[in-house]
Amino acid sequence: MNVLILGANGMLGPHVVPALEARHRLRLSDINDLDTPHEYLKVDVADVDQVIAAAEGMDAIINLSVLRTDRKLAFDVSARGCYNMMTAALQHGIRRIINTGPFYAITGPTYERFDHLIGPDVPPQPGTFLYAHTKSLGHEITRVFAEHHDVYVMNLLFYMFLDAEEQASESGSPIANLGHDLVPFTVSWRDAATCFGNALDIELERLPSRCEVFFVSADLPHQKFSNDKARRLLGWEPQDKLDQFWKKTASPGAPGNG
Amino acid sequence: MRERPPRKVRIAALGKDVRVLVTSAAAPLPQQLAQSLAESHDVLGTDTKEISSEVDFVRSELDHTPATNELVRGVDVIVHSGAVDPAASVSEQLDFQMRCTYNLLWAAAEEQVPRFIYLSSLSLMHGYDEGLAVTERWKPLPTIEPAVLCYHLGEYVCREFAREGKINVVVLRLGELTDESNASPSRSALYLDDALQAVEKALTAELSGWLDIFHIQSSVPNARYLTGQPWWSADDVSPSFSLGYQPRARS
Repeated sequence: MNVLILGANGMLGPHVVPALEARHRLRLSDINDLDTPHEYLKVDVADVDQVIAAAEGMDAIINLSVLRTDRKLAFDVSARGCYNMMTAALQHGIRRIINTGPFYAITGPTYERFDHLIGPDVPPQPGTFLYAHTKSLGHEITRVFAEHHDVYVMNLLFYMFLDAEEQASESGSPIANLGHDLVPFTVSWRDAATCFGNALDIELERLPSRCEVFFVSADLPHQKFSNDKARRLLGWEPQDKLDQFWKKTASPGAPGNG
Repeated sequence: MRERPPRKVRIAALGKDVRVLVTSAAAPLPQQLAQSLAESHDVLGTDTKEISSEVDFVRSELDHTPATNELVRGVDVIVHSGAVDPAASVSEQLDFQMRCTYNLLWAAAEEQVPRFIYLSSLSLMHGYDEGLAVTERWKPLPTIEPAVLCYHLGEYVCREFAREGKINVVVLRLGELTDESNASPSRSALYLDDALQAVEKALTAELSGWLDIFHIQSSVPNARYLTGQPWWSADDVSPSFSLGYQPRARS
């Protein structure tokens, strides 16, 4: 499959590319220069003409682009970038879109603070936090396009990424510490990357609708967020349990034992 | 998360002399609204372009800068239009309706502006069959037409600020603005005097104090949308309330 990856030089790109390159022809794009053996185009996703040009000849688009903190750029990239991507998809007849974002683009603080067993098929409540809000607007734009046109959007939502081996240490971080728990929406980089392969493989007509949201998180015991839909529909199977973080360390005097 | 404000927001007690900020003041409807509201209120207009105006006017980009905070400081109600500027590019239209609306709401919340009136459109509901009794409880059906999508995205931004209790939002989904001389108005037509009435009532109406949506159109033959119905909740605690809008009877 010919696959355009927008924002390929971000956090996820270096993990997604190796997971896909053996089976797909990749066209990478980013606003920053990228040293890669794959076809590369310098693209600003906020520029609709550049996105349309980059999407020519493609069968699928993966959108990894994101800007989190600058207010102007966050709207340009995370919200308007989705409009441009969908415009390009319609122009070239591309039917498979894989969009990304954080879980709180759908399930913001009004869900996360108190609830459990949270699934992805709920009305979006991103709140006003800039990153969540702009990504949520982007997702909503993709939903409206999919509602009216023959294009399928899979929104893969993530939050925290860990390298199960290299980051298996105490960092003092509120995110993840050995034996001291971790954010209950975490996945290893390699498991996150494999999910894109599943999203490229699935027959589009098997999806329940033309716009679906998936939570991509490891099998965690908190029962806060459910990854069941990604497993059930995409056939995604996370391999890394990350249990060194959520199990107390056994040795005497270790964190959680004294 | 901040708690919701009490049901009676401060503006309910203000009555006259409400200080109103009207955005997109160079556009036809906001311009007429500003002039009309200025007869009984303290009105300030703003737009991204400089205009000569009969009301006080300050040009603003509605950027994420202290200037936007200064613009809204001391204002009781902001009237913000979701109509796109037809002269602008689609990118500019989307940018204004998403980012600038966000900036404006953010500044308004910081400056403790009590109420934000968003002028949306009944075009969001046109996807339903004309024979259905579509009310504010029905799901909006936006299309990808920028002029329609922008209303939807503007409402989306407003909704999240209201949800967090940062500001009270009143969404007025307006019908198709129509001149009185139009001999064959559409079934969702809205005449200027009715639009003015709806906005005037929205300035001070005692509502939920959170997010309230109202469909506004004029009394025309075989009117497509119901208006003036009271809002009620399925619980047995919250009293019903309404905007008090009644379209002028026309012969």
